[in-house]
Amino acid sequence: MIATLDSNRRWRRAFLIVGGIIAAYALLAPLTSLDAAVSANVPLLADRLWFRIATYIAMFIVMATGWNIIGGITGYAAFGNVAFFGIGAYTTGMLIAKAKWPFLAALPFAPVVAALFAALVGLPLLRLRGHYFAVASLGVGVAVGELVQNIDYGGQPLFGGASGLFLPIDSIANRGLFFFYLMVAAAAISIAVTWWVLRSRFGYGLIAIRENEEAAAVLGVNTTAYKVAAFALAAALTGLAGGIFSQWNVFINQDNAFPIEYNVQMILMALLGGTGTVFGPAAGAILLQLLIQFLGGTLPISFDLPFVSETARPIVAQIILGLLLVGVVIFVPRGVIDFFGGRSRLSLSYLRRSLRETSL
Amino acid sequence: MNESSSPHRPLQADLPLAGEVKPQLELLGVTKRFGGVAAVDGVNLRVGKGEILGIIGPNGAGKTTLLNCISGVFRLDGGDIRWEGASIAGMAPHRVARLGIGRTFQIVRPFGSMTARENAAIGALFGSSDARKGPKEAFEIADQVLELVGLKAKAGRPVAALTIPDRKRLEVARAVATRPHLLLLDEVMAGLNNVEIDEALDMVRTVHATGVTVLLIEHVMRVIVGICDRAIVLESGRVLAEGEPEVVLRDERVIQAYLGERYAKRLRASGDEDGTN
Repeated sequence: MIATLDSNRRWRRAFLIVGGIIAAYALLAPLTSLDAAVSANVPLLADRLWFRIATYIAMFIVMATGWNIIGGITGYAAFGNVAFFGIGAYTTGMLIAKAKWPFLAALPFAPVVAALFAALVGLPLLRLRGHYFAVASLGVGVAVGELVQNIDYGGQPLFGGASGLFLPIDSIANRGLFFFYLMVAAAAISIAVTWWVLRSRFGYGLIAIRENEEAAAVLGVNTTAYKVAAFALAAALTGLAGGIFSQWNVFINQDNAFPIEYNVQMILMALLGGTGTVFGPAAGAILLQLLIQFLGGTLPISFDLPFVSETARPIVAQIILGLLLVGVVIFVPRGVIDFFGGRSRLSLSYLRRSLRETSL
Repeated sequence: MNESSSPHRPLQADLPLAGEVKPQLELLGVTKRFGGVAAVDGVNLRVGKGEILGIIGPNGAGKTTLLNCISGVFRLDGGDIRWEGASIAGMAPHRVARLGIGRTFQIVRPFGSMTARENAAIGALFGSSDARKGPKEAFEIADQVLELVGLKAKAGRPVAALTIPDRKRLEVARAVATRPHLLLLDEVMAGLNNVEIDEALDMVRTVHATGVTVLLIEHVMRVIVGICDRAIVLESGRVLAEGEPEVVLRDERVIQAYLGERYAKRLRASGDEDGTN
């Protein structure tokens, strides 16, 4: 037993060191793109593609960590959180494009509007449980996207309609660097919020709701208020990511602000990393986003799939992704954070034990 | 509702309800229907401060439904529930809990991912309306309560590692951690063996001794006779009999409800023969 604990601790330390080096590299590499670094002949470690991928990863860390608050900690499997991403994007987008606000003034409204919307739909939706809540929240996710595209005002599409919403191009110096660090800051905020939640009275109430809602209620937890607050908090974080995305991407429409696949991806990231934990969803977001990019062929390290033509590649990539996730859900039900964090060690017996637990 | 349909037996002089003492909890014609069936049908009940009141009755008599009505889990279809004089009918469960009415569930509902200590801490964190407690104070209260119910040694264990009797203790501990004035216990002794029942009885006595009124549902007659000041018998959602436990349990209507008419007749016949009763 003691030997296992020791080796777990060693495993955890090794992971922390490797993870720390990678994180430091990822956070510092963008600096090599600054003019001063370029003129000092520092090799360029972060090009446009690097920024694009890294910013996307940070964006998904925000969304997966946000989802974790309602889906992982509170236990309400929200399938429509992309609505909050889109609402955040359109809130900031409208304020910039139509009201001509500066970006940083418009950004704080993204989480606020998303949270208000979540509280509004959460009051009726969170009365539903289990599958019913999942399906209803998915419906909201789809409906909001459709509404945004189709609402007209005075004969004109209010939010840009099917042709989308163009934001004025900003004059931010080192754009890639700026938006990368902004998204990383949002990711740090979402992780800090989760850390605080899990240590607070609020968080204990949410976990009690997840474990047994009736029992939580008769022990004095105001279940309705807590669930709505958790939903709004998740929405605020997701909305913040959307708000940053709108100016980063300059153009938003139904396809890029309300992508249905984000709904599934943020849940899978949280599951892969470990739901209900502080760092699990972030770990899952990094791993899954890298995998998606790798299979999609956008990473510098590319590969050729045998017997697969270039046109069939995205489909095969999806299949590989699906199979991998089935495997993760069955064999690593508590997420990769379980052994990255040193609580268990990845071994054959770990996988066998997980299989027994999940196949009950 | 039919206020006079279940007449109260004259109360004993030594019972806490005697004289002018206002009841802590008062049920007036409480009715709860599921479809066409009245699971609880015009129940009148008064519980005095510091009392231990037992509720017995055959399966399906409406005992748990009555508890669900009191704790706010169910909405009433008729009647009123008063807590220290004020109506609490229609109040949300968490508000009822914060008024000082704690309860357990017949089928234990622990928070599975937590330790025993964390389970009890939830009650301490949320159960009372007085100054908001932080997790630290809540854990101190949790430790005290776990000691009270005899779970101190197992405080750090996850729920999955607890035996059934221990989970029942934990169910009580969680409710006690809310620092209730009235504790509603739903068959905490069911499924326990004799030794475990004795331990559980001690636990209830200990909690009661801290000044908590206890209303308990039980099938184990030994428990009713052993600790209850008073017992009421429910049948088909109505109060069938009420009074001192020994008296109530010998009531012919009660025996009939539990064991059937034939058995009641036979018992009466044998009672007449040897001249007792």
